[in-house]
This record gives sequence, C-alpha cells and structure tokens, in this order.
Amino acid sequence: MVDRPRWRAVAVRAFVVVVLVGQIGLLLRAYADPHSYFGFQPFPESSTWEAEVVRVTVDGRRVSIDEPWPGGYDWDELVRWGVLERPERRRHAYVSFDASIDFLDEALDWVADHTPRDHETLYLEANVEGTRNTRGPVNLVLRTENREEAR
Amino acid sequence: MTAAATATATATVFDRPASIRSMAILRIALGPATVIHLAPFLSDTAAGITYDEHFFEPWWGWVPEVPGWVQVVMVWTAAAAALAMTVGWRTRLVSTITTIGVAGNLFLSQTHFRHNRAFLVYLLAAVALSDSGRVLSLDARRRGTVGDDLATIWPMWTLRVLVSSVYFASGFSKLIDPDWVSGLVLWDRAVRFQSMVADRLPSFLAEPVVDIVTTRWVHAITSPIAVAMELFIAFGLWWRRTRLAAVWVAIMFHVSIEITASVEVFSLAAIVALVIWATPKTRDRVVVADPGDGVLRWIDRLDWLARFETRPVAGARLTVVDRDGSEHHGRDARRLIFSRLPLTFFFVAPLRRWR
Repeated sequence: MVDRPRWRAVAVRAFVVVVLVGQIGLLLRAYADPHSYFGFQPFPESSTWEAEVVRVTVDGRRVSIDEPWPGGYDWDELVRWGVLERPERRRHAYVSFDASIDFLDEALDWVADHTPRDHETLYLEANVEGTRNTRGPVNLVLRTENREEAR
Repeated sequence: MTAAATATATATVFDRPASIRSMAILRIALGPATVIHLAPFLSDTAAGITYDEHFFEPWWGWVPEVPGWVQVVMVWTAAAAALAMTVGWRTRLVSTITTIGVAGNLFLSQTHFRHNRAFLVYLLAAVALSDSGRVLSLDARRRGTVGDDLATIWPMWTLRVLVSSVYFASGFSKLIDPDWVSGLVLWDRAVRFQSMVADRLPSFLAEPVVDIVTTRWVHAITSPIAVAMELFIAFGLWWRRTRLAAVWVAIMFHVSIEITASVEVFSLAAIVALVIWATPKTRDRVVVADPGDGVLRWIDRLDWLARFETRPVAGARLTVVDRDGSEHHGRDARRLIFSRLPLTFFFVAPLRRWR
C-alpha cells in the first residue's frame, strides 16, 4: 500500500466522486441541449439546412450578403467556419438541425455587432429552410436586433 | 457487496500500486495525436489568425473575452508540451500543460467543441493525473528507475469508467431514437456522403461498398447492430470473460467509423485508449522457448504492455505458462502470445475464441 497523508487519500476519493457525478450530470444534461455538449451523442441526426441571408437596410432594401457590403465585409470571412460559410448552399446539418440554426442565429448577432464600418444595414435576417431526418421542409426566420451603427 | 469486499476494492483502486505501463503507452500515443488535433489551430495562429477575429461563441457570457494572443500561447505551448509528453520529459508538468492547453482552446468558443476533442481532453487529463512518466520515459532513465512501473492507478480506473460511460451514452442515445435504430439516420448520411466513402477506399472496393451503404434495408439491419456493439463495448470491457471480445469489437467499430466519417484523431485515440483495459500487472506469463525461436524476437519488439517474461532455454519446446498456471504448447502457445501483442491482437484473438 502507498504511504500518504490521510487528507490526500480523502481528497483523491472526493475528486473521483466529483468527476464521476459530474460526468453523469453532463450525460443527462445533453438530452436537453441541442448541441449535446459532453453528452457523447455523435451523429444524432441526418438533417439539412440552407439559408438566404440578407441585410435589411435603413431604407428598407433587402440586400443579399453576396452583394457588395459597405465596409468591404464578406460573410465567409466574418464567420470563417465551414459550418456557416455559403449559407445559401443546402448542406448537412452540423450535429443537429437545432444546433446548426442556433449557431447561425449567434453568427448573425456576432456579424451585426462586428461590422462597425457598415452604416447602411439596420438588421440581418436569415430565411432558413431545412429537413429533420428527411422530414420537412422546416421553415423559420432569424433576425438580429436593430444595429446602433445604422443611420 | 460486503463492507470488507468494498474496502478491498477501494484499496485496489486507490491505494495498491500496480503497473502504470498502459498509461505510459497511452501517454506516448497521445502526444502525436494532440499535435494532429492542434494542427488547424497552429496553422491559423501561424498565419496570424486567432479565434476572436471571426465568429466565435463564448461558453459563458460572464467570462471576460480572452485575448487572441492567449490562444497563440496556449496552442503552441500545448503542442510543444505534447511532444515532450511523448518522450516522457518532465512528464507530470508537460502532460498537465498539454491538458490545460487543449482544454483551454476547446473552451475559447463553443464552435471549437467536438465530441472527439472532449474525449481527447478526458484521456489527457487521466494521463496528467497518473504517474505515467514512471516507465517508458526519459524521466525514468534520468531517475535510474527504468524497470519500476508501479504506481497508484486510480486515474486509470477513473478513465475506465469515463470511457465506458462514453460508449454507453452514445449507444443508449441511439437506442431510444427511433430514427437512428431504424437505420434512417445512417442511410441518409450514407447517401449524402457516399463520395467521401468512395474516396477513402481503393477503387476496386469503392463502387460495391457505396452500393451497399446506400441501400436502405442494409441500414435497417446494421444500425441496431451498431447500437448493440456500443452497448456491448460499454459493459463487456468490465468482465474478464468478455473483455477481449469487447476490445476486438471496439477496434472494428472505430475502424468502420474512420472509413465512413470525419472524426479527426478520435479513431486513433479511442483504439489506443483500449490499452487501459489491460490487466495492470506485467510479465505474469512465462514464455519458454529455444533462443532461435523467432517468437522471442517478436515478443521483444512488440510486447509493449509487457505481458510476458521470456526464458530462452536451448532446445526447449515453445511453452507459455499462463497466469493460472496452465501450460500451452506449440501452436496454441504461439496464438496466445500473438493474441496479447497490441499489433497482432486483432488478427489472432478470434483464432483463440477470446480465451
């Protein structure tokens, strides 16, 4: 047997209990999380999505993100993640349909907040169409808050 | 379980030294695996691109935004530490640095998360917590303790529970999903990614394999089998009678995933991690053979888990004395030996019917 202080032996046992209880908690929590972080539920779906993302300007125009963007911005460069680049292209949903749309929603907000040279865009909007495990189509609209930079 | 049995089991896990060799093997393999995992981040940061210069999603809104230079320091330090970890130089320190670097990079953004990366963090943390530098390391050479591989193995036991829980979680989540267990999910994925499957196979195999994997009824059969495999692995690893079969099934499972999906270093890490299920006792089987018998050279080169003690005896017939004292001779002895060497286990173990 190893010879070590009692406090250390107790601390090790307590640490292991915390780790194992934490693991159980993470595995259970994943069922309520579309991303299933640390839930180890790989390849849960075979879903698809595509989105028409537009900039809605202060004067009401709906401009595709493929069109020239004030400030020289480019959607693909701003998101720099294959999961969200070229959203107009129908693709396999990353993790799950809900997880992909959550990331798209967050990306819209991030882009809206990180394009300071764009004073034309009032908000960003994405019209999403997809399938959940071949069932659909599923349609929804995402939009950001109105941007303070818009004039 | 009686109180005495519980106390004995607890002591075995936490207090009784045993061979840490399997964790050392894991440590050696995880170094290159970690560098491969970090490669995209190393490439980006070398090009001057950090995580905060494009879309990212923090894990917790209350944590201040971490500057991009922190990521640069983390990933490059972790990569260097991973290489030092492989050779076992200042093992405790560098394995801890590697774990912190990989986990820290993972927690910079939710977009960095993958299940295979989380699994890698679990493996690295267990290596960092164990005394894996005690053997097969520069540290051991420096200390002059090359043959001393005994240490407490509670990190290995903890990792065993975590690893089996991963298999269980994956299998169970699919078991309760009608779309998954009916084969719909895998079939649709196969149809969509059939070109990727074709690209990964030799040309003569590609077309027939693609024809098979894109057939709906095939997945109605194989999906429940895949679920059963994961659940069998989760539980089978725990019992001596089923352990070898579970390891074999796990290897086949991960090889099939590697062919059909993009999982970064997961397949490599998961297969190497199977070493933690080796009995933590070394050289408890004795091999007696003539010095000219080639099997002794194979053991010398491939017995990474030190399963065998070899005794060259001139003119001796090949004999293996197993843990229980039973003797095996000739071809059966040879199969026993090669079924316990990591590189040949997968091909030879079925010939011995998992004994």
